[in-house]
Amino acid sequence: MAVTAISEIQRFPQYKYVDAVRWLPQLSAFDRFAVLALFDSDSDASSIEIHHFKPNSLSLEPQSSWVSPSRVVSLKAAQFLQKTVVVASTSSGSLHFLFSDSTVASLESEVSVPEGALHSVASSCVDLMDRGVECVTVGEDGRVNLVSVGDSNLNYRRLFDSAGLVSYTAAKWASPMEFVTGGYGFSLQWWDQRKPGGPVSQFKGNWDQKLTSGIVHSIDIHPSRKHTCLAGGSLGTVFAWDLRWQQQPIILSGAGDGNTAVQSISESEVWEVQYDRRIKSNTSSTRILPSMICSEDGILAVIEQGEEPIELLAEPCAINSFDIDRHNPSDVICSLEWEAVAILTRQ
Amino acid sequence: MPSDAVGNGALVPFSGDPPALYPLHHGLAPPISRLAISWSRGNSLRLSLFAGAGAKVVEVKLDGEDPEISDAHRRRIAYGSVAPFALLQSRRSSLSALSRSPSPYHSDWWEHVLQYSKEIASLLGGPKLSPTPIIKDPNTIVKTGEEPTSLKAAWELMEIFYVDKESQAWLPERLVDWLADYDCLFTSTLETIHSKLVDFQKELVNIQVIEEDPKYWELLSSALSVGWLDIVVKMLRLHGSYQLDQLSNRELENGLVEAVAIFISKMPRLCPESAAAKVGECFESKPDFIKAWEKWRSQVTKLDCSPFWIQCDNQRTREGLRNLLQIMLGNTESLSLATCNWIELYISHFLFIRPFTIGIESMHNLAQKCIQLKPPSSTHRLAGLMIGILGESTEVVLAECSREFGPWLAAHAIELFTAGSEQAEILLHDDRYNLGGISIVELHRLVYAQVLSSHALTWQIAPIYLTSCMKQGMGLLENLLYRQSVQPNDVLLKNIEICRLYELDHISSNIIKIAGVHHWKHGRKGAGVFWLQQAQDASRLDRIAQQLFDSVGKSISHESFKQWEGMIELLGSESKPAGGLDFLYKYRDFKKSLQQVSGRKSADAARQAVGSLILLMKNSSTPQRFWLPLLYDSLKLLNWQDCPLLSVSETNLLLNKLQELSLAKLRPHHTEPSLPPDALSSIRLALATNLGRAILDE
Repeated sequence: MAVTAISEIQRFPQYKYVDAVRWLPQLSAFDRFAVLALFDSDSDASSIEIHHFKPNSLSLEPQSSWVSPSRVVSLKAAQFLQKTVVVASTSSGSLHFLFSDSTVASLESEVSVPEGALHSVASSCVDLMDRGVECVTVGEDGRVNLVSVGDSNLNYRRLFDSAGLVSYTAAKWASPMEFVTGGYGFSLQWWDQRKPGGPVSQFKGNWDQKLTSGIVHSIDIHPSRKHTCLAGGSLGTVFAWDLRWQQQPIILSGAGDGNTAVQSISESEVWEVQYDRRIKSNTSSTRILPSMICSEDGILAVIEQGEEPIELLAEPCAINSFDIDRHNPSDVICSLEWEAVAILTRQ
Repeated sequence: MPSDAVGNGALVPFSGDPPALYPLHHGLAPPISRLAISWSRGNSLRLSLFAGAGAKVVEVKLDGEDPEISDAHRRRIAYGSVAPFALLQSRRSSLSALSRSPSPYHSDWWEHVLQYSKEIASLLGGPKLSPTPIIKDPNTIVKTGEEPTSLKAAWELMEIFYVDKESQAWLPERLVDWLADYDCLFTSTLETIHSKLVDFQKELVNIQVIEEDPKYWELLSSALSVGWLDIVVKMLRLHGSYQLDQLSNRELENGLVEAVAIFISKMPRLCPESAAAKVGECFESKPDFIKAWEKWRSQVTKLDCSPFWIQCDNQRTREGLRNLLQIMLGNTESLSLATCNWIELYISHFLFIRPFTIGIESMHNLAQKCIQLKPPSSTHRLAGLMIGILGESTEVVLAECSREFGPWLAAHAIELFTAGSEQAEILLHDDRYNLGGISIVELHRLVYAQVLSSHALTWQIAPIYLTSCMKQGMGLLENLLYRQSVQPNDVLLKNIEICRLYELDHISSNIIKIAGVHHWKHGRKGAGVFWLQQAQDASRLDRIAQQLFDSVGKSISHESFKQWEGMIELLGSESKPAGGLDFLYKYRDFKKSLQQVSGRKSADAARQAVGSLILLMKNSSTPQRFWLPLLYDSLKLLNWQDCPLLSVSETNLLLNKLQELSLAKLRPHHTEPSLPPDALSSIRLALATNLGRAILDE
């Protein structure tokens, strides 16, 4: 069974559906900000809001807001020079870059790619390069685009179009030139901007003999181990794909194949996976670094190769996304299905 | 239908409240030629209007919901009540399993229900934790802040009567507390002491000599009559005689005010001692209370007859204080004058006339009497609920809940009724012919589940309620799951997850098939194939395979091969049902080995390619239209310089295939692959050459 960890949990009802949530890069020691993509079902309006988190007074207050043309399907935030960049793709297919001044955390300017220019479908996934304004967008329509922001304009180009033969559901930068995408059948593709025309390397594990295939929902790559790609998806599956050992995935969690050697913390969709940034000194270099997952059955947990999973939260509703604060890795923010946000401070 | 039968040309005779009117802003030039109406999300109607010049779709949101609670707040209550409801249901079933009886009626069942009740009540708004000001404002008599909701008041009222068995002994005191918390809610339809106090508080700053204001004394008696002792004591201390400069010449007057204040603060009350926040002296046992009550009354009587009153020269103070004493002594007329409506009068009777009232029947009689004394102009929904409860009719109470407070309360309050009475349990859980064979409990749960199902954000919790309905729940759950969109992916996956939880494999299989076809139709071929594979739908896979081959036949060149690569990966190994699609997998292998052959002229690679070719040609799932292109692609293998790569039997197999092809040409619907005109002859030649070399070799 899972071990339960002690942590402080605060829940903040939003009275709106929380489509996505991210911490903003922390620019001063006292001000903590999170960006929330919200959908108000009463007025059918979507927005991206920056909220100010005050740990001492246990409050999460809206600071500034930007009206989105439609629901946000993917949201990422990064720091670029002295500005915070938030990128969001919407269900109408548009892509928006929002810039925020570091000190007041208000959303100041916006540049966007109109509907239809990048994707023809409602579902897409974006990833923003660390300390950069280069963005990769992938979609169920099988298109892979690169978007970069110049001084006043946006440049975008289509790197690949599978014409719907392959759908992509997740993307993550590995280096300034390389990124990884994920899709149906627990497949992963490794891309290199310098080699257009298709993925450089493809992976599809052969563990799915018993019809337990699924979809990759989220990918993470640790900056110190770029050859290992962590992926989470259907059926509680979390696996790592080591480029040096291409044929076999390292399964970290999964209900699908009846493999009793691997503990499974969840049996439903793993919506997001991230390496746990809280540093543990005794992690062996041969093992996969510990990672955090959130799932449709309401679990937020840390899983580590060969260890019992540590359960951080067990909610009665789905946890749709989460983010670990880079500067305070003990703090985790997550979005709950029941129109709320939870902030967790690990002891 | 004759129009006189129904009147006004209406199809259905209309009776009851006047209909609500919703003006439409469509901006179309009349006349409207056609109108289509359908349900939209939640409580909205979608109207499609067609006029000569154009058409427009407008949505009309129907209200009629409780204006006290916003939709978002209502959803929050819905989310929060899932866990307590589910826990209570599981306790009910485990208890029934233990006692081997369908009814969970058990001596301590009410304790589970009480826990459930407390959890639900906490969702409806916590106790008003008004932040304590650092400097206490002497002019604050009543706290005005966020108003409580009628929903919470209704829930607590039912909890008091049905669930909390432990405090049955001090039921009247609990009603006093209840009114203290919720008197403000009655302000909407009735005059209340609360609203009078709030008004008075606003005027307070402008009043110079408070005890000269008749309203001051009037409100003191009112607040006392309903037992708001802390307010009374606080207000008494505002009396002018307490001011330091006046204390010396108004000593006697002040003594009387203080004496009354002390009596009020020492009033005996039959309530648990844990209710420490209360003003007054609490007695848990009835004999102790009666003793204290008699003693207190005699002391109050003694003060009332005291000679000091004659010496008090402030007439207003004298009369006001003596009126307070009359209320303490239970003077019916004073109580009636002090209270504003029948509920307040009712509560004052509990406090000062019949503090030991026990038994619902006598409480009911008292309520009837109070209604006669202060007949209300209209019935407030909380008053209606209270009368229903006192009338001991579960059906009436349930009807009030459902009509006045909506399906959420009806579905959740039902659990409270069964806490204390096996009779109610039977009444509510028995299947009824007039309800289509379902029980009252099931009816209300189904209604609530329908409300949840109609909203995009709450449909996911409807299954919890539907699965607790034995008769019709599963059928409606299947409907609900079928009705959800297969797009976007997360909605589909959440839907499939619910199927998995309730073991509805046949439904999820159908939903997955729908999703597969949806993706396929919208050009997402890979996603379509994936879902159809998940559903093991071999027949549909076969059909779409034929369509796929068309595009493969046209475009599987070296350039577009990368596009196909991922899709073919998805098809996976042979063990998976891929319909005719496993051909693509083998075709890919063949193409790959052919590419290797062209790269380096290795005989091994060429042998491997021949192996793939033979496998493809032997396989029955390889479409006939691919035979010729396959052979044409393999010309290099057939003409291998160093040695013949195909054995005699293999060459014969390929020759036979060519023969079959030439027969197939005679059939209708045969399409010629787009190959160079000399393709067939060069294949024939190559095969013949190979055959000759192979025979020589062997």
